[in-house]
Amino acid sequence: MPIVEQRSVLTGLQVKDAMRRNVHRMAADGVIAACIRRMIKYKSNALLVNDPAGRPAGVVSRTDLMGAYYAGLPLETALADILAGVPRFCYPDDGLEDALDLMQQDGIHRLYVHGAGPAEVVGVIGFADIVGLLYRYCRFCAQSRRKAKGPDAALPRLAVRDVMSPLAAACNPNDPIEMVIEMLSSHRFGAVLVASAPGEPAGVVSKTDLMVAYLHGVPTSAAAESVMTAPVAACSAEALLAEAIQQMLLKDVQRLFITAADAPAVVGVLSLSDAARFRSGTCKACVASRMLAGV
Amino acid sequence: MIASDVMDTRFHCLQPEDTIATAVRRFKATSDAEGKKIFGMMVTDSRGRLTGMLSMHDILLFIQPKHVEIWGEIEDVDPEPIFDALLERVKNIRVADIMTTELVTIKPDTHLLIIVDLMIKRHIRRLPVVDGDAVVGIVYRSDVFYHLLRRFIA
Repeated sequence: MPIVEQRSVLTGLQVKDAMRRNVHRMAADGVIAACIRRMIKYKSNALLVNDPAGRPAGVVSRTDLMGAYYAGLPLETALADILAGVPRFCYPDDGLEDALDLMQQDGIHRLYVHGAGPAEVVGVIGFADIVGLLYRYCRFCAQSRRKAKGPDAALPRLAVRDVMSPLAAACNPNDPIEMVIEMLSSHRFGAVLVASAPGEPAGVVSKTDLMVAYLHGVPTSAAAESVMTAPVAACSAEALLAEAIQQMLLKDVQRLFITAADAPAVVGVLSLSDAARFRSGTCKACVASRMLAGV
Repeated sequence: MIASDVMDTRFHCLQPEDTIATAVRRFKATSDAEGKKIFGMMVTDSRGRLTGMLSMHDILLFIQPKHVEIWGEIEDVDPEPIFDALLERVKNIRVADIMTTELVTIKPDTHLLIIVDLMIKRHIRRLPVVDGDAVVGIVYRSDVFYHLLRRFIA
């Protein structure tokens, strides 16, 4: 049976084109407090944990740290005691499409990139890195129909409303942090909207906010509003997807809360990983322009 | 030719629970007061023991956006307000969260050439001078430089 290979924006791009080379690692006997500080300082979403021989033994993510916070573990607990995920690997010359597929299949957010030796890790790649590369790649793409026809050409473009998910849950400013954590883990969210009235945004509690609260010794019974980030990174449902992606990349956020076109009420959420999925396999403008250009 | 010959005893310290905004103000005020540029300060706890160092590098690293390449390429949006919003995330962060805790310290009688060696090999620009539990001074790379090479400027 012939294998039909779909051509997409990512075709021909390799992991090494998008990966970050600075991999943050810690020994398994390191403590949670040091791990959180490292993640805050380097704005990292996960740390690779080494076994005593220096080989990668596991990954500590913000989700794991949130679990430790919920369980009331002391900040001096060793990372070895909370290690859950094993790192998944790819190679620098693997295709980006394969890497994205692997992440989607396994429901993971990052892949570590193997070097030549068994203990050698040369990079890490996440959704945001792929979207960041795609964004730049598309902007400079000489084959884009938009570029060919000029900036005023009336071509259909994806809007946020085509891709966003409806807002599944929000919490009140007075809800305790432990409830926020329960909400995050049951819905597999990265952040919860704090709404003072239905749909009325007051702030956001992300896993990073919770990590900082854990480090600063805030009890999990404290109110969500005491640790939330405000204002909410938001965008209109009518905005173009490309603009929303740009906003997420520039603001260093992994999701935007989406407001109705004519009201401040939040109606949905757009995550960077939704955007990655949408842009990677189904960029019709790009596929079509390639066919027109005979590439 | 020992640390106490060149160390600066007029040093200023930050507290671990200070905010980043406080640290930035302290950098500026200290630089103005001392008449020389201060790029890093020691962090001491309530008992005066050294717990870390905070440098401009640590703060710059923290405020740097993740996708910095894109920042260099945007022309269609005004980056100023977005950067201002990014700085908001500094609000909840304290000095202890981003300071360097893997410290190299020296004693008042550490030889200057050993200090030079440490500074070269480990890319260190300033070294706290510790006597027992107490911080007694700080040695800056520039002071070591001008002390060792003073015959050329006499």
